[in-house]
Formats: sequence, structure tokens, C-alpha cells
Amino acid sequence: MRFALGEIRRAKLRFILLVGAVALLVFLILFQQTLAGSLLGQFTGGLEHQSASVLVYSADARRSVDGSRVLPQNVAAVAGVEGVAASGPIGEASFSAKVAGGTILDTTIFGYELGGPGAPTTLSEGRLPERDGEAVASAQDADKGYGFGQQVTIVPGATPISIVGLADDAAFNVQPTLFVSYATYEGLVMSTNPEAKGVVPNLVGVETSAGADPSTVAAAITAQVDGVEALDRNTAVASLPGVSSIQQSFGIILALAFVVVILLIGFFFLIVTVQKTASLTLLRAVGASGGFLLGGLIAQVLIVIGLALLVAIPLTLLAVNGIGSGGFVATVEPSTLVTTSISIILLGVVASIGAMRRVAKIDPAAATMRLAGGGLA
Amino acid sequence: MKLAWRELVRRPSRFLTAGAALTLLVLLLLVLGGILDALVNSATGVLRAQTAPLIVYSADSKGSIDRSRISSEQHAGIANVPGVREATGLGVVLLAGHIEGRTEPADVAVFGYEAPNATVPAPPAPGQAYADASLQAAGLELGQTMVLGRARTPVEVVGWVSGTNYNLQGGVWVEPATWREALNANIPDAAVSPGTFQAILVTPQDGSPVADVAAAIDDRVPGVTALTIDEAIAGVPGVSDQESVFTSIIGTTFAVSGIVVALFFALLTIERVGLLGVLKAIGASSRTLAAGLTVQAVLIAAGALATGSLFALGLAQVIPDTVPLELSTSRFVFTAVGLVVTALIGSAISFRRIIRIDPASAVGGA
Repeated sequence: MRFALGEIRRAKLRFILLVGAVALLVFLILFQQTLAGSLLGQFTGGLEHQSASVLVYSADARRSVDGSRVLPQNVAAVAGVEGVAASGPIGEASFSAKVAGGTILDTTIFGYELGGPGAPTTLSEGRLPERDGEAVASAQDADKGYGFGQQVTIVPGATPISIVGLADDAAFNVQPTLFVSYATYEGLVMSTNPEAKGVVPNLVGVETSAGADPSTVAAAITAQVDGVEALDRNTAVASLPGVSSIQQSFGIILALAFVVVILLIGFFFLIVTVQKTASLTLLRAVGASGGFLLGGLIAQVLIVIGLALLVAIPLTLLAVNGIGSGGFVATVEPSTLVTTSISIILLGVVASIGAMRRVAKIDPAAATMRLAGGGLA
Repeated sequence: MKLAWRELVRRPSRFLTAGAALTLLVLLLLVLGGILDALVNSATGVLRAQTAPLIVYSADSKGSIDRSRISSEQHAGIANVPGVREATGLGVVLLAGHIEGRTEPADVAVFGYEAPNATVPAPPAPGQAYADASLQAAGLELGQTMVLGRARTPVEVVGWVSGTNYNLQGGVWVEPATWREALNANIPDAAVSPGTFQAILVTPQDGSPVADVAAAIDDRVPGVTALTIDEAIAGVPGVSDQESVFTSIIGTTFAVSGIVVALFFALLTIERVGLLGVLKAIGASSRTLAAGLTVQAVLIAAGALATGSLFALGLAQVIPDTVPLELSTSRFVFTAVGLVVTALIGSAISFRRIIRIDPASAVGGA
């Protein structure tokens, strides 16, 4: 270790540059993972954390909640399918909400029949709505004016909504989200668009009978009710338009960033090893074991990655806080930090295998060939 | 300079590491930029295509065309504001477009409009549509009738337009009554009355300042907000967040590129200290050596740019359609300029070491 540290001290610029490059790349990886995770969570949370285990769309909706409208006769028909214990309409739309201070914010509102399917399941404070005009809000947006006990006004129409509870991970479409009674939702649609010709639910929420498999019940609904497509909750969440785009886009970016990290660490240590082959050969010749030299190399890899993580993690926390000051709220998951750090450490060690092989192959006898060492070239 | 070039040509393997790392970084920069451009254009392309400099939304809609409603009375009021030459309506609804012979419908954005813009000609006859050329990939053909949504509202495709998609859905442009028919039949809760639009595009009279006309509309027509097209683009929900986040990531990636160049040229300079000492001993100045190093850095960056760009174009062909990616000429130019600048800055880190090389070391070097 002393040997490895001594070399780093003598070649400060090289190692500072390497640590800097790896730190920024690790920061990019951590930041983008945080971003992707938070974005997905806030994109799908409202659907993922509600009580209906099966969601029924209009067949034409292409699994988009916004694009789905289920006709009244279909809502009634769903209730009659075997395996359906309870069902009810669920409405969803984006509204303008005036919060305390007069700021107007884009807000998603889910309407469901109180006591029926569609209620938020991750209540962290307060209670579920018990009457019209009450709402549970996504907890992460409490600081924006959607706090417990606060009131927001939906405009145009000036309909007040009192927040009686907060639910974790309940945002939808990356907007503050409210869960209200279906009647409240209907009233909001009509007050914000007086020209509306009626309110048709976006979805039918279904709670399945005890022991019934949601995917089997969903298949039965699709088969038996014309003009609808039913999905179990997990499939509905995974099928939301945009989810696969987000996953694949960030997947490509993260994969590229990981490859650059591996390439950078691998080639740096390979070049440095090649440059100091003569010195390492001499060390072997005077008794240093291969294990000692390999240990030094691995120690340097770990020191570089360790220092890079020490820079990258606070940088990520700072950057995420910076984003939080805007509309989008991102949260750094400790599990992301741990798994990414471990992955980078393992990949860094794997990347330096080329340099390790070169060290392992050093022949101490080659030292006698060095002119500078008095050898016979 | 010639020496730097010859070294690159004769010992390309020496520069392979830096080139490979930079190539991947170029690929990363282009993919990041391409995704950002696709997301932003998808949300704002329709606004950018408008030739009218002002757009009017309902005051409570917060710049969201989906939530905005402008009644026929408000429309007339806007048209009568002094300084307004033309005030034309615009509306949009997202629906499934069923194409004959295809089992899977296409996602379409149906626009109702009154006046041509930079990419779309004057409105077609009722029941007809101009479709975005991107819908050809979904099987749509000229002369075909596509039916919209659950209500199966028919529209006949009579021409192609380009760059008019909205929210990653293919643009379909129809006259206002056809748009209202499709909207009201398929989404009754978003229905609008005859004469109602979601936004009004305003062209001021010659000589009337745009800002003055916008202020006059706000003052004289209750319940509406007039925005310049740039203000409207900036106000599209999510766009500024996307731009700031992606710009930060792209900036950091440029910084990594600069550090990679600095790192590899620092290593290379250390490796060549003896050689550089000899060159100095026979008369080469520090400036000449530094210039050679700079040329090498720029050429490596250029090579990485060319290779990375080819990889990016190849990637664009194979990645799934669900990944939004638009590789524009301006994005390539931006990346090229950024990379050359970072390569110049990165290579400058080694200048100090070059300057400090003592020509006398060439005599004593073993």
C-alpha cells in the first residue's frame, strides 16, 4: 500500500486527472440513474400505488390512461365478469391548480368512487378522502402547496380541494397528483370545460375476488367485454406510453458511460504499467514478488475509484438538490449509490486485468538486459 | 507540425487509447443531444413551425394547449384588438389512427387549423388531412382513409408534411370542423363548441411591435394570455427542466472529454520526455513542440468525432422506435466545436511539462 501511495504522490497530475475523469463519469452514472429512477417513479407512481389490481382501458387507448375512455355500458359489463369482486370508474386528467400564494401548477387528478377501487395505497399522513372536495396528495409535492391541511383551487371554476392526506410515491405524469372522489372529478371536468358533453371514465378499476389471479381476471374481462382491454396493475404500469422510452434511453446512455469508465481505467493502468516496465522488472530482480507488485496495482485502482466515489457522491447529492429547486423532484436512493459503487469497483478491477497480466508476465532476469543497470543489451 | 502528423501516421496505436475513449464520449454526447432534441422538438416543433409571432391561450391554462379553451367571443375580441392583422385558431387532440390493413393503430395528433404555417399548407377540405411523413412507417399511404379513435372518424390523406409531430405522435392536419368532430366524438369531456379553439395564432400588422400587441390583447380580452412563440416554447410543461438537466449532463461529458485528452497527453508527454529533449537540443522551440501536441490533440478529436458520428448514425438505425433520437446537423456541429475546444484546453495541460524539458537532458539520458 505504501508503495502504491508513494507512486501516486510522485505522479500527482496523472492521478488527479484520472480521478477527475472517473469521478465525473461516476457522477454522470449516479446522476442519470437517480434521474431515471425518479422520473419513472413520478411518471407511474399514481397508477402503481392505487388499490385496483386490474385496470380496464378502452381497446382503442393503446394502454394510455389519458387516451382511454370507457363507455358506461362497458363499465357495467366489467362488474359481471367472474373473478371481479368490486369495480368502479376511475377518471384521470391534468388541471391547473392554484396553490397558496397564488401560483398555478399543473396537477394530475385521479377520481375514484370512495371506498371502491382506485384509492391510494401508500398513505403516509392523514386519511383517505371521505367526502367530495377532499383529496389525498402526492407526499413529495407537499412543499409546493399540497401539504396536509392545505387547500388548492382548481381553475377555471374556482373549485376548492382540501388535502386530508398524503401518499408516498403517488405522483403521476411527473406532476403533483391528487386523489379525489369520482363526483368531485366529474365536477372539476365540467367546471373547467363547460362545453364538455359529459364525463366518461378513463379506466375501470377492479378488485379481484379472494384467490383470483389478477392477470387471469384481466384476460377474462378482455375476452368477455367488447371494446376494452384489461391489464393487471404491473402490466398496466410497464405498458404506460413513455415508460419503455425512458428505460431504453437511459439504458443506452448508462451503458456508454460504464464502457467509458472501464476503458479509461483499463487503458490508463495499462499505459502506466508499460511505461514503468523497466522499473518493475528491476523490483522483481531485487526480490519483490509478483504478488507484491500486483497488490500495489490493485491498491492504486481501488484508491483511484475510492477517491472518485468520494467526489462523485457529494456531487450527485448537490446536483439532485439543484434539480429539486425546479419543478421536478429527484431523490437519491441509497441502494443506487451502493450498487453503483460496488459495480464501479468490480468493473475497475476487471478493467485493469490487462495491466495485471503484464505485471504477472515480468521476467526478473530481463533486468540484466538493461543498459542503465549495467546489463548486456 | 509535420513531425506531429508523421508520428500520428506511423504510430497510430500510440493514440488509439485516447481516440477510443473520445469516440465513445462523442457517441455519448450525440446520443444525449439527440435524445434532448427529439424530446424538445416533439413538445415544441408545432410552435416552432408557426409563422405567427404570437400565440394566445386561456389565462388559466398555464401555457398548456391541452387545457386551453378560447371561445368564439374571445377569438373575435382578439381579432379586433388594434394592431392585430390576423388571428387564426389552432386545436389538437391525441387519438389512435386506424390504418386499413394494419392491426395496430398509429398514435396520431390531430390538429385543427385555419391558416398555413411554415410546414403545412392552407387547410384541406372537410374530411381530408395532411399527414406527417413519419406516419408512412406505420403503413399510411397517400389517398388512404384513416379512421380516428373509438368513434372511427374518417379522414382521407391528401398530402404529406414533415416535422409536425407532437408528443411523439404523428401529426394529422385537418380543417377546424373535422378536428371538432373527431374531438367531440371521441373525448366528450374535452368537447368544444363550434367556434371554440384551444389557441389563437396572432400576426400583428406591419409596424406594430409584437410586445405591444401582446400587451393590448392581455388588456382588452378577458381570460386570455398572449405569449410570443419563444415564451410559449419556454412555457411548454417539462421543456425547460429537460433542457437544463440534459445540458448539465452534456456539459459534464464535455468536461470528461477535456480531462481524458489532458490525461492521455500528459502520459504521452512523460513517455516522450527524452525524445522531446533531443528535439529541443537540435533547435526545436517549446512553442513548436506545444503546437505539434495541439495538432495531435485536435486531429485525434477530429478522428473520434468522425468515428463517433458514424457509430451514432449506425445506432440510430438499430435502436427501437420507442427511444426518441434526432441527430441533426446542428447537433453534430455543436458537438464538433465543443470537442475541439475541450481537446485544445485538455492538451494545454501538458504545455508546462514541455516548457520545463531541459535540452541538456538529451545528453545525459540513458
